[in-house]
Amino acid sequence: MSDTQLRLGIGLVVASILLPSLLGSAYWAHNFLIVNLFVTVAVAQNMLLADAGQVSFGHGAVFGMSAYLVGIISGLWGYDYAIGALAGVGGALALGLLFALPSLRVQGYYLGFVTLSAAVVFPEMLVAFNDITNGINGINRTVPSLTAPLFSGLSWLSFLVMALTVATLAGHAWLRTTSAGRKMRVAAVSPEAAMTLGLDPGRLRFLAFTIAALVTGLAGTLYVPVLGFVSPYAFRVDLSIYFFFCVIVGGQGQLLGPLIGAWILYLVPNALLADLANYRLLGYGIIALLIMLVFPDGVVGSIVSFSRRHRLRARIAGIGIDPVLSWAGIRPSQESGAAITVRGARKQFNSLAALGGVDLTVMAGSVHGLVGPNGSGKTTLLNVVSGFIPLTAGSVQVRDRDTTRMPAFRVARLGVGRTFQTPRVFEQMSIWENLEIGADVHSGNNNWLMEMLEPFRGEWSENNPDLLAHAQRRVLEILRTVASDADILLLDEPAAGLSAIERRDFARLIRFLRDRLGKTVLLVEHDLALVWKVADRITVLDAGRIVAEGPPDAIATDPRVRALFTGSPDA
Amino acid sequence: MDDLLIIAVRGIGLGSIYALVGISFNVVFNASGILNFAQGNMLVLGGLFAFLVLPLAPDVTQWMIFLPLAAVALAALMAVQGGITLLPLRSSVEQHSWLITTLAASVIIGAVLLLYQGAVQQSVHSPFANFSLAGTRVPATYAASVLLALFWYVALRLFHTKLLVGLAISAIAQDMDAARAAGIRVRRLQIGAFAISGLVVGSAGFVAAPMMAIANDSGLAYVMNGFVAAVVGGLGSNLGALVGGALVGVVSMYAAFEYGGEFQNAVSLGLLVGVLMLRPQGLFGRPAARRV
Repeated sequence: MSDTQLRLGIGLVVASILLPSLLGSAYWAHNFLIVNLFVTVAVAQNMLLADAGQVSFGHGAVFGMSAYLVGIISGLWGYDYAIGALAGVGGALALGLLFALPSLRVQGYYLGFVTLSAAVVFPEMLVAFNDITNGINGINRTVPSLTAPLFSGLSWLSFLVMALTVATLAGHAWLRTTSAGRKMRVAAVSPEAAMTLGLDPGRLRFLAFTIAALVTGLAGTLYVPVLGFVSPYAFRVDLSIYFFFCVIVGGQGQLLGPLIGAWILYLVPNALLADLANYRLLGYGIIALLIMLVFPDGVVGSIVSFSRRHRLRARIAGIGIDPVLSWAGIRPSQESGAAITVRGARKQFNSLAALGGVDLTVMAGSVHGLVGPNGSGKTTLLNVVSGFIPLTAGSVQVRDRDTTRMPAFRVARLGVGRTFQTPRVFEQMSIWENLEIGADVHSGNNNWLMEMLEPFRGEWSENNPDLLAHAQRRVLEILRTVASDADILLLDEPAAGLSAIERRDFARLIRFLRDRLGKTVLLVEHDLALVWKVADRITVLDAGRIVAEGPPDAIATDPRVRALFTGSPDA
Repeated sequence: MDDLLIIAVRGIGLGSIYALVGISFNVVFNASGILNFAQGNMLVLGGLFAFLVLPLAPDVTQWMIFLPLAAVALAALMAVQGGITLLPLRSSVEQHSWLITTLAASVIIGAVLLLYQGAVQQSVHSPFANFSLAGTRVPATYAASVLLALFWYVALRLFHTKLLVGLAISAIAQDMDAARAAGIRVRRLQIGAFAISGLVVGSAGFVAAPMMAIANDSGLAYVMNGFVAAVVGGLGSNLGALVGGALVGVVSMYAAFEYGGEFQNAVSLGLLVGVLMLRPQGLFGRPAARRV
């Protein structure tokens, strides 16, 4: 599907630049150069929004920054166009990174407002610093060496714009196949899951903003030779909103989306209302609103989901536990000693003590059960070990490293994997890609798990996890953690929502992880029967304190534990 | 010294508009989690209402009659906008559709204003005379706008604590699912919250009209500064919006005095980024608990 979109997109870009010139329409040739520059920026915006999950309403300012630096340096100061272009890209990158800065602290609408404000302020600054920018008069700068016609109305500039737009489209498609692209998408959908895979969401956001700014900046440098003129009026907030709406109207996340969106929003008002420039804004607003109400997936997105709905979905990919368990298993070098050591852990939420001084030692190569009633602090403890929640007092060690103050992604890089109560499975990616994210963060070069799963590659690459049953999502999430080569697995209620048979299989899987793969498992679970069946040691928590700790048999007969669970464990 | 006093008085006057926009933000945000990008243009429409209905030299009676009408007119318009905004949220998986629909609403209002009156800025005269405070002359509109901000702060506080409807909206703010389970008609109350927000912003636009730029492209600057006021004070807190509004007003007025009017918005943006980087929960907000 994405290959079709890419080919179609490239075809449209090339045709839109060649045809008007060959047909002798200077008006449309000029307009399509502008449209293709806008398409380029919109593709970057699409990547930023759909792949990296970053809302930016301000990319018109980045575009304008680049164009204006070209205008100032090569127009007012008389330097070479190439030097101006270089400075333009540099300026766009600097502004893009400024946008990225708040994204480290805030997301979503906050970021939208910050970038929108930047887009409001940018043209005001162009006017305010009029001794540098020539103020509202703008700057004239033509680049005859680029715009001189070569043959039938085409110039070097035509081919530069074509190359940039095609490269941006192809680059976006390629980014999605790379490990960096997958990591970016994971961090966008679930920053927590990304961190448990050892990914730093902040760095991935910076990467996305940098790429977007680079592409937008390149487009900005070509804006000057295309128009021959820059003025503050051209880079008002409307332009930023236009770029954002292009993505929405076309269909966010679709490769072809921004191209279609940019065409619709630019050409429809231009063709129908050429003399009524004032109606253009009204057109943007109404089209965007209608698309959101009627086709929330955008034009391309709606076509894609329509054609998908009408395709037979005969192949239902299954991830069975049995084929996994039938593997020989490679037991890696067995560690001994403590894998996780928690000492005197206290966690205070305002006046509530979620953990009131907890000690926990999980031995390497063992399955350690953590049980207790709701609100006893099990998940809090798991979050503390993962590095999601800082302790009020106490310490955490992973093997011999102190991780008390470590951010989650650094803890994960020590080989601590984690699953969640609701499986973090990424719907927009194929099942295979969901596993590959794990392999992406694998430190060694040969990943035996991925090699073993190779026979399933074809089938799993074609199907998205929306076809998977709940139990299979659990297995997928665990397999992903195993693929990342984590040797300590923190499982948060993995059996919740599973049937009796699935639970039995699940118990086998956990034993398999310990016995055949040599993993250490810390298991938080409500199903006491399951815990008693698989755990080597059990810790019982109540109200943030440890009630009992020991091997399953000893715990089962402990009267304090029996009192805690009415209807005592059936172990 | 005199300069600083003038800056403070004008800043607080200007800031009261931002505070009112901030409060009207909070009303919708608390009930639905939506931040309405069109709030700035709604304010401008309130001002336009004043321009259309008030004569060149209005008297106090006329002003008193049309003030509630402006509030009600904008309340009706915002209820419609609220209905449209909430529509796709019913089924769509895209939770951020409101980012787009409210931005689109803002663009549409701006575009209609442009078509209606062109790229001009309308002005409205106040029926009240200027008065003098600590030796400086203060336009009456500043005082009226500050009083209106205080009025809405108190009125909303009473509404949310004394009236059953207000309590129900507060319940939505606390926990939407629980409120729904308790039989509260969430959707209807959310549209109601849009309407109340319209009352606030409509009356604000009417009262502040003499000191506002009633133009097609001024809405975004108001929504931006109102958002900064709300964030500085702590999103969702009306007390925060009051304090934040005054702060943003004074700081941007100082910037205008010191460096020129073009820098007002730039300084607000700096304030916004500064607060988000250092204290994202604002002055009166509480840090949100992390859910993993």
